[in-house]
Amino acid sequence: MFGVLFEQTADGQRYIDWLLAGLGWTLALAFFGWWIAFAVGVIVGIGRTVQNRLVTALARLYVEIFRNIPVLVQMFLWYFVLPEILPSRLGDAIKQIPPPWGSFFPALVCLGLYTAARIAEQVRAGIEALPKGQTEAANALGLSPLLTYRHVIVPQALRLIVPSLTSEVMGIYKNTSVALTIGLMELTAQARQISEATFQTFTAFGAATLIYLVLALIAYQSMMLIDKAVRIPGSTPAKDAVEPILADDVQSGTALPHGMEVVK
Amino acid sequence: MRQEGAVNPSNHSSAIVVVENLVKRFGGFTALNDVHLTVAKGEKIVLCGPSGSGKSTLIRCINHIEKHDGGRIVVDGVELVNRMADINSVRCEVGMVFQSFNLFPHLSVVENCMLAPMKVRGLSRPEAHERAMGLLRKVRIHGQADKYPAQLSGGQQQRVAIARALCMQPKIMLFDEPTSALDPEMVKEVLDTMVQLAGEGMTMVCVTHEIGFAREVADRVVFMDQGSIVEEGEPASFFSSPRTERAKGFLNQIIH
Repeated sequence: MFGVLFEQTADGQRYIDWLLAGLGWTLALAFFGWWIAFAVGVIVGIGRTVQNRLVTALARLYVEIFRNIPVLVQMFLWYFVLPEILPSRLGDAIKQIPPPWGSFFPALVCLGLYTAARIAEQVRAGIEALPKGQTEAANALGLSPLLTYRHVIVPQALRLIVPSLTSEVMGIYKNTSVALTIGLMELTAQARQISEATFQTFTAFGAATLIYLVLALIAYQSMMLIDKAVRIPGSTPAKDAVEPILADDVQSGTALPHGMEVVK
Repeated sequence: MRQEGAVNPSNHSSAIVVVENLVKRFGGFTALNDVHLTVAKGEKIVLCGPSGSGKSTLIRCINHIEKHDGGRIVVDGVELVNRMADINSVRCEVGMVFQSFNLFPHLSVVENCMLAPMKVRGLSRPEAHERAMGLLRKVRIHGQADKYPAQLSGGQQQRVAIARALCMQPKIMLFDEPTSALDPEMVKEVLDTMVQLAGEGMTMVCVTHEIGFAREVADRVVFMDQGSIVEEGEPASFFSSPRTERAKGFLNQIIH
């Protein structure tokens, strides 16, 4: 059934090579995007819980903006709108970035900052779920607020939210498919291209689907291992300690209808 | 480890904690109303009173875990206002033991004891480890140093919490109902540790209803009700013949 994937393409490759190239971009986008999301998300999540009103307000603003604009729109904002609103020299320089990097970087920033807003909410929930006595004990020992966050609060909050971060890991790699709309030839885009070249719609998207499923399984299992590895000895599993407040499905759907129209 | 020299409790000339006109409100509720308290170096004070009388709030104000709304608190010559540097320097000199232990669950017993000495006092890891092990030995729990808090019993956790506070080499120890959350059979091991500490001359302010402990250790019993200090005196006279009706009523309730 997947035999067509091993046929020669017009450019001398095999279709499976297209798919693997797409997979590479998908993984690169998800991997590097995740670290951006995690770093920014932890900082913004902490920002939502500090005493300083200005910091809390800015963190809140960040979350509301990046969480509530659809990923697809954000993708367009970073790719089409940003170069226009920047000073023209800088904007032109951005537009000069050769493909595929010209698509990759906006997609990376977009997914990183969008997912960061969601992670920030998880981090905030994790911090707020900790008993007040932890902060009090740290304060009583003379630890400054910074040291308290660094050594007492954040290490515990992150352990608490590993299970709910799993859905964010899966979310960011599914959302990589939105990058096809700004021309990045990631997995879904390659599947669409194969389908157009071979008219084997089912095979092309079936293969992409299988790859996405395997990735999901790997992500899930890895997060389970991480959860196990960081679990505090003697404690009960932190599972379900924090309800993923935003467990609503990630907008993986937004990209697909776009792709489907072409297929029909 | 520095040992506190034994101080004659009758010599109260050098006050280490001075609380004057202290007022603390929670919204419309006045938790502390014009409280005065002086603690001399080496003195052991037991605070008691019905629940909601403000005794916990009072000791939580002493290390500024609760911010006071009026009056003055001077700890070891430093007045607590809102300067973070002052607050942190006071907190280094004031150890606190909580009712619910509040150990850091993600750190092992010995790491719990090493964290603040390393990060706040600037001790090296080997120094902090040596000091932590010394104090864990003192509270007779050094055999569990590499376990995590959740693997210990309540009494063991509370002894670790005492050792953790002592690792900062504080001049004063505050105890906020340290035995109230413990199973009855574990109360004694914690009280024994506190008695031992008192014997070494540590300045202690304890919120507790353990009459036996108060009789054995306290220089002074301070009875609070409704946010004010109602009566204070030596434990022998306070427990046998309280002067105020409110103290009498309270003692009748807790002595079975």
